[in-house]
This record gives sequence, structure tokens and C-alpha cells, in this order.
Amino acid sequence: MSGELKPLEPLKTPFRLQYLGTEQLDQLQQATLGILERTGVKFPSEVALKVLAEHGAQVDFTTQVVRFPRDLVLKAMRSVPRYFQVGARDPFYDFHLSDGCTYFTTDGCGVETIDLETRQRRPSCKEDVARMARVVDYLPGIAFYWPMVSSQEHGRTAPLHDLDAGFRNTLKHIQSETIMGRRDASYALEMSAVIAGSAEEMRKRPNFSLLVCTIAPLVQDRDGIEASMVLAEAGIPVGFLSMPTLGTTAPATLAGALALADAEVISATVLTQLVHPGAPVFHSIMQAWADPSSGRYVSYPLDARGRYAVVDMAHHWGMPCLGSCFGTDALEAGTWQSGSEPALDSFMIGLTGVEWVTGLGLTQTYTRLYPESLLLDYDLYQKARYALMCMDINAETLALDTIDAVGAGGHFLAQKHTRTHMRDAMRRAITQQIGPDGKYREPREYAVEQTKWILAHHQPEPLDPAKQTELDHILAAADRELV
Amino acid sequence: MSTTPDATPPLQPIIPAFHLRILDDEQSRQLKSATLQVLDEIGVHCPSRKALEIYAEHGARADLGSQTVRIPPDVVLRSLSCAPRFYVMGARSPSHDLNLDGKRMFAATDGCGVETIDFVTRVRRPSCKADIAGMARVADALPSIGFYWPIVSAQDFPSTAPLHELDAAFNNTVKHVQSETIMGAALARYAVEMTRVVESDEQTLRARPPLSLLVCCIAPLGLDRDGMEAALVLAEAGLPVGFMSMSNLGATGPATPAGTLVTGDAEIVAALTLIQMAYPGAPVFHSMMPGLMHPRTGAYLATAWEGTLLYPIGVEMAHQWGVPSLAGIFATDASTPGWQAAGDAASSLMLCALVGAETGSGLGLLESCRLLYPEAILLDSDIYHRIRIEAAGLDTSTAALGLEVLREVGPRGHFLKHRHTRETLHQRLFSNLTNQPAPAGGYRDPIEVARETVQSILENHHPRPLQPVQQRELQRILAAAGREMER
Repeated sequence: MSGELKPLEPLKTPFRLQYLGTEQLDQLQQATLGILERTGVKFPSEVALKVLAEHGAQVDFTTQVVRFPRDLVLKAMRSVPRYFQVGARDPFYDFHLSDGCTYFTTDGCGVETIDLETRQRRPSCKEDVARMARVVDYLPGIAFYWPMVSSQEHGRTAPLHDLDAGFRNTLKHIQSETIMGRRDASYALEMSAVIAGSAEEMRKRPNFSLLVCTIAPLVQDRDGIEASMVLAEAGIPVGFLSMPTLGTTAPATLAGALALADAEVISATVLTQLVHPGAPVFHSIMQAWADPSSGRYVSYPLDARGRYAVVDMAHHWGMPCLGSCFGTDALEAGTWQSGSEPALDSFMIGLTGVEWVTGLGLTQTYTRLYPESLLLDYDLYQKARYALMCMDINAETLALDTIDAVGAGGHFLAQKHTRTHMRDAMRRAITQQIGPDGKYREPREYAVEQTKWILAHHQPEPLDPAKQTELDHILAAADRELV
Repeated sequence: MSTTPDATPPLQPIIPAFHLRILDDEQSRQLKSATLQVLDEIGVHCPSRKALEIYAEHGARADLGSQTVRIPPDVVLRSLSCAPRFYVMGARSPSHDLNLDGKRMFAATDGCGVETIDFVTRVRRPSCKADIAGMARVADALPSIGFYWPIVSAQDFPSTAPLHELDAAFNNTVKHVQSETIMGAALARYAVEMTRVVESDEQTLRARPPLSLLVCCIAPLGLDRDGMEAALVLAEAGLPVGFMSMSNLGATGPATPAGTLVTGDAEIVAALTLIQMAYPGAPVFHSMMPGLMHPRTGAYLATAWEGTLLYPIGVEMAHQWGVPSLAGIFATDASTPGWQAAGDAASSLMLCALVGAETGSGLGLLESCRLLYPEAILLDSDIYHRIRIEAAGLDTSTAALGLEVLREVGPRGHFLKHRHTRETLHQRLFSNLTNQPAPAGGYRDPIEVARETVQSILENHHPRPLQPVQQRELQRILAAAGREMER
């Protein structure tokens, strides 16, 4: 079944929450500028160091540490576009980042899958990436796709195979978080151009984007930064993600950790703007905590405030932001912990006015795929989407004539107004699905069944066979060169 | 059991650093104007002669035959102008008073459940007074719980259950108690008498009332006789009374959210108006907890996708009338603690806190407020704290920024050995339920940890008891009430 395309269902809300005050944002921004100027960031890439030196940064080619004069940072940041166009295989799924509209995606880069049929845990593979792309294609609330797990059987070229599985199985935009190095990036561009039809069209409506991780504290990844330079040149949106851990790779105070992370993101952004002024870039920080008793990585302590503050920080720089939701620390899908940790995420992030958000569907701190987890998280997302919609108050919805007709002590069951509106009055959650016995079904069991149903029935429009062949050729060449 | 009472930890209300407004001015005006129109033109059913007479004396059009009252807008507005916007709900321990000042939100347990998963046998059974006593002690030990709703019904005392619930609560927590079951003037008078045992000084009782009452309206547009008459007795004694509408969209309310909200608001405002007519300045509160009717089963659902918004809007409507609110939080339709219960819980609490709710209930029940799982209160409490901290904003002081630390560590270093980390990491707040190391490695199941914690509280936490003379006096009142009610 490919059928009629369903319009995207982003979270749109008239409500807005500014998490940090202007003075706090200024404090944080000043802290970032101070770190960039005095402490510096390490760029272990000769290409990047040369560009930065040419534009007036203080570069130590031996230590590879770069210090950024304030003026240089502020000038470079002026060319960052506040919003940009996001393309897709099918133009129907293009979207433009904008105020008051938030687009959600899956989580990504997991390494284990609970097999949907056998329920056995196993390493993830390309087929998992493909199957989950089809589920994503079916769900209108998921606007773009992060390859959810890694195509591990393809080793060195897994990121390109992830992209391939994405392009073949969803008409929506793909965002990679794994393409690293100049050569890989060039192959990815070739694949993208095949899908778009031309390099020109790809630039106009970029059908994929890249998220590059920095290395806390205050280091850029050579391959990541070089891949970003290649993609930015081609007009592909690139984001930088810092993942500081409080107490180990960042100070044990939230503000300090956020300032450090911001310095990493901003230093990479500055480089991109120096190379290609006006290149579409986005900002992302996803901090975690070190469990004081074990040192373990914890993404959902009680105090997870910075999760939403980072959106305000990005906007204060005039950049779009990729926010972070979901990705529970729970080992298993459908448990109390996997519900309680992310339950609030979509509400809070929606209220900040963030442009796009990852990531639904993984457990065990974004490493394990339970396929049904995507539908469970999706239910929490939809609940937030509806809650934050503007409510209609008009003569029809106030229904004063109907209230008058029923009067005190009656009921509304027999009213025409009820018949007209009842079908739309209740948006059924996954917890309100009725089983054959008339009782509500167990949500996780329903989610497993729905996932299977989608996989059995939903097949997006296949790629043109000629394009499929082209992708095969590119992958084969990449395998030969890179493996 | 310890011989000396255990200290009740300080309350930890939600104090939001930022605020949200859902209705704009025009929407608020539309809703308020519609409520006034309903009260004036359609009216409310009120089967209490005493109440109807009060309405009539103060300018409403009361029809004793049809037991319907229509209230002109100016009468409503004039009456409600007497209602206090801010006041204190007292507690046995003054440091646990609830200052409803509009800056903080206090949460209560859920209440009036009818079944319990037995604390020891884990078998499902009808609820009893001992459950209320046990859970009052658990509520007393949790800083998340600002006040106590008797969480289940004392079904072993059928004719005077509400008073036994009060007795179990007063004896087992020093926190404020809010009843949702005292009905009728006679029971209410006994409840006031019991409250005077707990707080004998009349002036203090009025300034810091240790008991309040929530009365349910009957949708659509109906007031309950016994509920209203009980409310009048408590209001006369200076005890806060609130009115709750639970209109069900599509069944006892129109099938549109705005229409259902107006129906519920009209019920609540009619009741608030009555109290202010009878006792101007009496402390009152507004509580809107509508549900959505499942289109196939007719069931009341608190957790449909669209339902979440209705509770915080109810809070904003309360503030429109210039009274504090009791918000609906933590309702779940789930039958066991798990993903559904957790997913249902968080959103309404956060939104209600951000729109400025003063109070909310309730933590700890499942199956649409009917079933007590003792550990559920711990699980809900964990979510409560997550939201409390989330709403508190971020510290961006020089110390919190820690730039000197960054400079010392520099690129590629780590912060493990730094004094700043040693001094501040332990101040970060981690859950007491998740991330608890298991002996064999990994983390323990949070539900199992919650169950153990409840058990430990029940074994070890014994708050300051009432004086023996007070206990005896309560017993005497209960005995008298039992004799009268069983006649």
C-alpha cells in the first residue's frame, strides 16, 4: 500500500515559554565568548586550522588549539540563516523551519535490535534501518528520519548504507548522524544528488542533512568537521551536537556544562560560516550526567533542566535548534520508567519553539531498538501536540443552544451537536484501543501489533529503478574505496 | 514502632520560574461571558431548599417548584467579588501550612478510591480505614505531598465513612487534610467538631484551617443537595470549600471542549456564588476536572490526547473569577503501574503548574481514581519532583558557570578530579527510584524500589500523633456520629 500521502503533523502552538531570561542568556553567551577567546577549542584538522588562521583566529598549529577573538565570532555568526528549507525525496514532505512549528524525528544510531518476530536481542542491521524507515514514512507526526540503528554488517561504510536504506524506504527527509570524513561526505552527496535529480535541485531542496558530534570538553572531531565542510559547501544543512556529561567531560554544574557545550557548537558553526557564509547550520546540545556512585551515563536524572534551556541559547545566537526528547535510560520498552522519563519532553520542548527535535523510539539511553517503542513514544508526542494546539472558542464550540436544550440534569447523548462533534471530540490514544473483549488493550501489545501491521501494509513509492541502480553503484564504489 | 515521633520533612511545592498562558484575553472573555449567560438564562438545578432561599434572598431567580436557580450576571459578579484570591490552608504543624499565594503549587494525593492492592498479600480487596491511615503516613513522609486527600474510602464504616477517613488522616499526618466525601449538614457538623478538636482556638482555626472540603457538582448544571448543605456548614465555620465539575464531554457536557468547560464552570460558579452570598469572604476554590466520553464505550476518560489541555484551562478559568484552583493532575486510566500510568501523569501537572495552579490532586491511584496501588504514590512522586525541578529554572550564577574550572581543565581534559566536581556533583538531583544499582550490576526495577520504599515508610515513619485527649475526643465524636447516622 502506498496510497495517498498524509500531510505532516508537526507540533504547532501559539503558546511560548522562554526558559531563560534575557540576562541569563547574555551571561551564557558571554561565558561562551570567554571560553572561545581564552581557553580555546581543539581542531585536529589541518584544513580547518588553516581556514581559521586565515580569518584571524589565534591558531596554535602544534597543540591544534584555536582561540577566537570575540569580534570574529560575532561577525561570523551574523551570516547564519535563522531558518532554512528542508527537502525530501517527495516535495510533499518538504518543510521550512519556522517560528511556532516543531518537527520531530526518530532517535538514531542504536546498536541493538529486539527482533520484531523472534523478540531476540541482536546487533542491528541495514534491514532494521529500512523497516523503521517504512514505519516512519507511515506516521505523519514524524517529519524526518534519523536512521534509527546502525547497518553494522557494512562496517566502515555503514553510514552510507544507513542513508541508502533511508532513501529507499521513506519519502521524507533523512538526517544522518554518522557520516564522517571528506570521502564519505562526497559519496553521500552523490547519493543525494541521484535522489534529487541534480546537484542544483539538491542545494535548493536538500533531501538530507548531517549532525556532527563534538568531543567534550572543547574538541572537534577531525572527520566530523571535515565532512561538515564538504556538505556545507554543497548547501546541505549541517548541525553540531555537543553531548557533555556533568562531572566527567563537563563541570558538574548545569550552567558550566551548557557554556562549555555551547562553545563547542559555536566554534564549529563559526568555521562553517567562514568557509561558506550563509550555509544552513543548526545548534544542538544534549547533556547527560555521570551517576556519582557508578560514573554511568544518565540522561534522565530528576534534574534535567538544561534539556530545554539549550533551545533558548541557540535562538539567542539566531540559530535554529535541534532539540532532544525521548531516549529513555530504561532497558525495556513499555515499562513505567520508559513512560515516566520522556512523558514531559514533547510538551516542554514544544513550548520552547524549537524548530526540530530528535528522537523517538530507542531505549537504554538511545542504544536499543524495540520496534514498538516508536509507537509508544509517538503516542506521548501526539498527546503533547493536541494539548498545545489553540482551542477553538466560538458559537458552535460553546454550544450554548445545546446546553439550553438539555438544561440542568439532562444528558447530551441525543443531541445533534453531539453527533456532529463526537467523532472528532476524542482523539483516541494508544491506551484507549478496545479489544475483542470490549476492554482496553495493553498499550505495548497494541504497539507491537500496529508496527507489524504497518510493515505488512505500508510501502512508500519505490525509488525509480535507474536511481536504485545508481545508488548501488555508488555504494559499491564506496565499499571498494573505504573498506 | 519508634517511641519518639518522626519529623515530617518540609514541603517541596512547585515554584515555577516561568509561566504560561493558554487562553488569550478574548478567549477568557468569551468563556466567562458564556458562563454568565448560562447562569442567567438556563440556570442550575439545586435541590436544596436552604440554598434556594439564600439564592433568592440575594437577588437570584429561584424556582422552588423546579428547584432551579437563575442568577443574573451582576449578582454573580457582586457575590464573587467577596471571595478571597489568596489565603492559607493550615496544617497540624504550622510549618506545613499551605500558603495559597499564587506563587507555588501544592499537590495532594488522589482520593476516594474503592479498592486496594493489599500492602502485604498484594491481593485486590475493598478499601478500609487502615488503608487511609497507612497512606496518610506515607503521604506525611513525602515532601511532594502538600496535603492529604483520604486516598480511599473507609468502607468498613459505611454510614460514617467520611468521618472515619478524617479521623484516620488527622491521626496519621501533620499535613492539611482535604475531604471529598463529607455530605449533608449533619456529617459536616461532626466534621467541624472534629476539626475543632485538632485546632481548638477559633481564631487560629479560621486563619489556618486544618480541614477543607471539595464538593462535586452533578453535570450537567446540577448541584448536589447534601454537598451544598455540607459546604454551607463548613463555610460558616471558616473552613475552605471548593466545588468540582467532572462533566463528561459528549455525555454530560456538549461534545466540544469549550462547551463542556462552560457547562462545568457554570456549575462551579453557581456554587461559589451561593457560599459568598451566605458567608461573604469565605475561602473557596474552583476545580475543573472534565473527562471525555469514549465514543464506543461511553467511559469517562481523563487521558485522551485532547484531554490534557482541559485541566490547565480550568485553572485559568478559576483565576478569571478571582479564586484559587484545585487542578486535576496525575489521573490515569491504567490498571497497573507501568508505561501508561507514567505517560498519563506528567503532562497535566506541568501545564497546570505553569499556568499558576495553587493546588492539585492527586497522586497514587489507578483505574481512573478507583484503585490504590501503595507504590503508585512513590512512582507519581518521582514524576512530581522531575517536574518541580524542571519548572524551577536554571542557575546561571558565576559559581554555576564555573569558567575558572573550564580554563583549568581545557580542551581534551576531564573534570573528575576537580574540586568543583567533588563539591557540586552530589548536589545534582537523581531519582530515588531509577538508576538504583542492582547487586548483580545494572539498575533495579523502579517499581520494585517503590514498593520497598513504601514498606520502609510504613514500618519506620510515625509522625507526631495527636494528644491522647484529642484522640479520645475524636473517638467520642465518631461514636456519637455513628449512633446518629445509624438511627
